[in-house]
Amino acid sequence: MTQPKLKSKVRCKDREIGEVSKVIVDPLSHEISHIVVSMNGSGERQVPMGQVESVTDDLVALRTLSAELLALPPFKRDDYVTTHEVEIAHLEEKVHVAPGEVLVPLPELEKSVKRRTFFMNLTHVIGFLIGLPIAFPVLRYLMKPMYAPFDNSWLKIGNVSKIKQEDVGVQFKYKRTVKEAYMPEAEIEKNVWILKATPAVLDKVYQGKDMEFRDAAGKTVWTNKKDMPYVAFSGKCPHLGCGYKWRQHKLLGQVFLCPCHLSIYDAAGKVLDGPAPRPLDALPIKVSAGGDVEIIDMEFKAGTKTQIRII
Amino acid sequence: MTDRAPLSPLKLGLNVLWSAFWTGFPIKLAFALLFMALGMIHFEARLGLGFVMVLASPITVFAMPILMMLGSHFGEGAGLGLLFLLCIPIDIWAMGVVAKTLFLERLHLEPPDGIGFSLWWKSAVTGALYLPVLWMIVSTVTETAIAISHSIFELEIFHGLPVAEKISIELTLWGGVSATVLIILLVVGVSLIGRLVRSAAQNAAPASDNYQRLVTRWDLMRVPADQGLMLTAMTGAGVVLSVLFWAALPASTPHPHECCKPLEVKRQPPFKPIDALNRGERTLAQLAAQVEAIEKQRAEEEAAKDKHKSGKGKSAEPKP
Amino acid sequence: MQPAPTTSPEPTVLEKVIAFVDERVGLKTIQAKMLNEPVPGGSRWAYIFGSVLLFIFIMQAVTGILLMFYYVPTADHAYASTQYIIHDVDYGWFLLSYHFWGSSAMVVCVFAHMSQVFLWGAYKKPREMIWLVGLALFGIVMGFGFTGYLLPWDQRAYWATTVGVEIMDKTPLLGDFMARFLKGGPTPGQMTLSRFFVIHVMILPAALMGLAGLHLFLFRTAGPAGPFRGTPEELKAKTDYFFPRQVWKDIVGMVTVFLGICTLAFWEPVVLLEEATPDPGDYHPEPEWYFLFLFQLLRLKIFSGEFGQFLGAIALPGAFMALLAALPFIDRDPERNIFKRPVALIGWIVVMTTILIFTVSAIINREFLD
Repeated sequence: MTQPKLKSKVRCKDREIGEVSKVIVDPLSHEISHIVVSMNGSGERQVPMGQVESVTDDLVALRTLSAELLALPPFKRDDYVTTHEVEIAHLEEKVHVAPGEVLVPLPELEKSVKRRTFFMNLTHVIGFLIGLPIAFPVLRYLMKPMYAPFDNSWLKIGNVSKIKQEDVGVQFKYKRTVKEAYMPEAEIEKNVWILKATPAVLDKVYQGKDMEFRDAAGKTVWTNKKDMPYVAFSGKCPHLGCGYKWRQHKLLGQVFLCPCHLSIYDAAGKVLDGPAPRPLDALPIKVSAGGDVEIIDMEFKAGTKTQIRII
Repeated sequence: MTDRAPLSPLKLGLNVLWSAFWTGFPIKLAFALLFMALGMIHFEARLGLGFVMVLASPITVFAMPILMMLGSHFGEGAGLGLLFLLCIPIDIWAMGVVAKTLFLERLHLEPPDGIGFSLWWKSAVTGALYLPVLWMIVSTVTETAIAISHSIFELEIFHGLPVAEKISIELTLWGGVSATVLIILLVVGVSLIGRLVRSAAQNAAPASDNYQRLVTRWDLMRVPADQGLMLTAMTGAGVVLSVLFWAALPASTPHPHECCKPLEVKRQPPFKPIDALNRGERTLAQLAAQVEAIEKQRAEEEAAKDKHKSGKGKSAEPKP
Repeated sequence: MQPAPTTSPEPTVLEKVIAFVDERVGLKTIQAKMLNEPVPGGSRWAYIFGSVLLFIFIMQAVTGILLMFYYVPTADHAYASTQYIIHDVDYGWFLLSYHFWGSSAMVVCVFAHMSQVFLWGAYKKPREMIWLVGLALFGIVMGFGFTGYLLPWDQRAYWATTVGVEIMDKTPLLGDFMARFLKGGPTPGQMTLSRFFVIHVMILPAALMGLAGLHLFLFRTAGPAGPFRGTPEELKAKTDYFFPRQVWKDIVGMVTVFLGICTLAFWEPVVLLEEATPDPGDYHPEPEWYFLFLFQLLRLKIFSGEFGQFLGAIALPGAFMALLAALPFIDRDPERNIFKRPVALIGWIVVMTTILIFTVSAIINREFLD
């Protein structure tokens, strides 16, 4: 028997009753199991294919009388889903109905909304709980090298005999060993500017207070006494980290001058001109009786008004 | 209703035990993991066996302590006992779910009330009695089989047999014997559990629904009455366990094996050539000073000797 | 009864966003089509292994990417950076051990998945192509294990790889070329490490993702095979959709595997041997546990000598893989019930038992090596 077409007329034994509005397919056998007959406004009825006597091009003839058909329960559309909403492989090969509404029954177990929502939510909860235990370890893992503790060891960088004049910046070059993670120890070259300051300049640097340097926990590591004449400035410009020089300026006299963006500082490190957000960063310094200078190598975040130590 | 042949005890037992094991396993595993993170459990070499046995309860729940008393050492730690106690409610629940499903779907019977608990304690007692026996028999058979297969290959005719072949053939021999005995005993044991299920089934009323409705019943049984509560409780428990896990997880590797400790990368103090030279210079200067002092001493002693020589004629060997 | 829940009067922001996208893309239909796949005979625990494999792969990718934050694939730093991960980076030992045990879990699940498909006869018509793509995926998983093993550059890694590549060298005609290609030279060194790293981290993942996508597409087109026995009434009564029931079972499987791997990471965290040197010293090279059976097989006298090694290492495994590939074309009987396919059942038992025996033999053999 050819498959019934949508929109073909349906006739019972006694009279024409309506047309085929939908077709229902069995999901396992891929055969048409029922047709849904729309009775010209008086509702729809679901008719099993067993009751179909013959199918011609645009007519489906039923074995039953119209009264029997009307006595059937009304068609429940909610018990079914369209073939767009369900994945049934190779269905089109067997069902040759012109496009319209081809329906597939909703499995009995899926009809419970409570069940469906429960398992959906449970799946989400479990999925969330799978990721949760590793979220924290992964975060710590990735953050390991980001906040390395500071190295507050003293480095010998030279002797003050190198400084011949007061209030004049003298560059001291030194080497610092670094060990990064699993890499072998390496040496990097750094420099500081050291000044033998007159009391006036010293006062400008310290402004009457001893300079305290603390570690990450807040404990004081060292205090630069305000009357110690030697001042060490970090070799990196506080603007963006370039190395600066001691130069003769046309108008301002002898100054620290940064070639990158032309920040200018006086002998006490105060900003005279340029984009620098704060004065030169002073470092912990101690000078031995023999004149040997030691500093603690520190680096500070560039471009900020407040001084934030990073190394 | 489709008419079904009655299920054999073996099939009943297998169905119940297999399903109950896997139902409870993920939950027990979560706790086991937490206890391991907390360092509360240390498993010995026969981990696979011990672990699976703890988690394979309900039947091992009482058998395990008996076996440990008899000498098989699975591990130590307070966590083991705790895990084992936790298995009890989990197993009772799992047995309940599995038994009710079985009754409805396969046996078409109404599951009696409290079937989970009654099946659990009966299985646990059976396991406690049967498993040590099984363990003893299988251990003895295995040891004997290994000994026999070793001695077979000690015979003259097999002396030429190369090592690899010998190992595999021996393994097949005693392994086959041991596995056969184990399988037979397991089948017997599982059937025992099956018989328990069957006796529970004998007193059960038939379920009157058709197949589709029965399936729907056990399917919907898994949907809790108050979903929101259950899901919130589960999420909450999961979050709590995760936080505990985070706190407990050691940041660096726990119990590294003795054999292969990694080379401790010692921070070499930076080598400062100037310092080394200075030190060398100083040492040389010190040594030079010492030599001078010694020579001076010697000269003085010589002078003193001369004085004495004229007086006594003794020659004192200066100390080098 | 309306299957959809009644909507509240004012849609939430999320609902509005979803409606926006749905109007343009047909989101709801796509989602329904992807998720509402009816599984004949109902969702089963036996079907979870495919999804579990996908989950394990994703976890391996995630942990692998994390490891790459600190690992460097150079001969001078590979060992040190791996040790750094284990001893210095917070929880590095845990992530590395998870990655290590995850690879073992993947092999176990691949065997389980292949066995399930084989026993259920789900390689037969019309599913031949899915099976073939699956075999390729199996090869890729083995390749992952082999290439990843070298990366820590300790004695175990170096020597297992050396032996493994030497075995490949026995392939006729192409063997020497393949071995030199993999080693990047006549002997293993930095070139080998770079090549293995690229293969492990770029080539194999891309290949796996592509083939897995193909595998899934072919599977959806053919539909799930379902159980091999049951009356149509039973099948229909138990039919449910992929989502939520099968998805739920898949997720529980994933949780179990996840917890299992974490537990193994605790029980046996990764410990490296000494750094790789050209002199093996007292160390006896050994491949990963899932290659042990092949390793042991090659110790048998019948596989000694050049031809013997070729037979045992290349010809036999090659023939077996060819047999597996030809399987859907040789076995045309539509019967899928394993208990009615004695040849298949016995064949499977024999193969699994043989692999088990030789794996255990390899472990026992360790004591006889000195």
